[in-house]
Amino acid sequence: MKHLKEEELIEHYYGKGRSDAAEQHLQSCAECAEAYAALKSDLEEMEFAEAPMRDAAYGERVWQSIAPLLPAYETRKRSWLRSGMGRGLSYAAACALLVVCAFVAGRLWEHKQTPMAAKNPAAQAQPTQQSAAPVRERVVVVVLGDHLDRSERLLVELKHADAGSEEMVGPMRDEARSLLAANRICRQRAARADDPALSATLDRLDHLLAEVASEPGGLNAATLTRLQNEMNADGLLFEVRVLRSRIPEQQTYQSARQNGGTI
Amino acid sequence: MFRMDKNDHAAIQATLAGDKEAYGALVKRHSQSLFRVAFRITGNEADAEDVVQEALLAGYRKLESFESRASFGTWIYRITVRCALDRIGGRRVDENHRVAEESDTEQDEVQVADVAAGPDRMLLSGEIGAMLQEAMSGLTATERTAFVLRHMEDCGTEEIGAALGIQPNAAKQAVFRAVHKLRFRLASLRVRI
Repeated sequence: MKHLKEEELIEHYYGKGRSDAAEQHLQSCAECAEAYAALKSDLEEMEFAEAPMRDAAYGERVWQSIAPLLPAYETRKRSWLRSGMGRGLSYAAACALLVVCAFVAGRLWEHKQTPMAAKNPAAQAQPTQQSAAPVRERVVVVVLGDHLDRSERLLVELKHADAGSEEMVGPMRDEARSLLAANRICRQRAARADDPALSATLDRLDHLLAEVASEPGGLNAATLTRLQNEMNADGLLFEVRVLRSRIPEQQTYQSARQNGGTI
Repeated sequence: MFRMDKNDHAAIQATLAGDKEAYGALVKRHSQSLFRVAFRITGNEADAEDVVQEALLAGYRKLESFESRASFGTWIYRITVRCALDRIGGRRVDENHRVAEESDTEQDEVQVADVAAGPDRMLLSGEIGAMLQEAMSGLTATERTAFVLRHMEDCGTEEIGAALGIQPNAAKQAVFRAVHKLRFRLASLRVRI
């Protein structure tokens, strides 16, 4: 049986914690009942003398002694700002101010952007041309990091592929086709960015992807062996991994978009 | 404990509107009850009177922060408890006590032996009164105040916590510690007698 602690007995005595459970326990547990009786006896013994009464003039005396020390509150004009309506108006004014500030900031920013656009008509014209381009033109956003990741996976699969297994070869071919389109965009971007290392690797990758994607009879053993040898000879997988490591993890779809939508 | 009196509310409004005398009505109305609690905590009439004045002065200065939904009686009562606690050296004693709390029960006996006549002198009478006086003097200011509020003023732990500016659970623990120490000391004093 779990006995009541002294704290529980004290709480029980003062009544706030008086519970049926404690009461029942005290009735069934002689040890706790004895402890409680001792506590009760001790506390009841602690009788303190009543505070001496002050006479009726005590309050007056207290007031007389402190009154000279109290500066009068200034007559408060019933400030409308302190009222609920005042608070509401304050919030409304603050909101209005915020809207005005946002509007002015927007206008200023717009003015600032206009001269920049004027200085670079080519940049201005490009979006215009793009916007005039046919709707059918798809905007493909490719993140270089993702592209290299996918390419790396494909190269690893290719390296360990078994030509006799159509289950493996089929998906590789589809993936290669998908990567081929993205790789071309990446190559263009690399060429514009004047990055010879990236361009060279993407060129070799393009060649390999094209072969995997367009092999008419599928990947037979001879083709696969040749591609694996070429891949090894070029160190393509290694280069892709090196290039991938150059790209921070944070370069995501969002950052790619910020950089102009395509890479 | 206190109900918000319409007269209190009107007096507060008048005081804040510049009518200093209106505060006088509050002072006269509440001084007696404030003296009682101040005396129970300090155990000394002179200290209790000082505490009442100090609390009412503080109340006047803070009156603008008083929320009209609350009871002025409860509000000024709490201020009085805090003033009384400060008066009996709450902070200093508490800091010493935190170190002492780590010690064992022998430490308690040492504290009892070290006790001189304290502010509780006026509270107690007779043999048991003398023992209680000695035992009470061994409590920290917080424990003593919590115990007085619980045992004599019949305050709940939330009210004690609010008055002392501590959490209700801490107030409860202060009461427990106080009762435990008092019982222990009274027992050891009885043995000596």
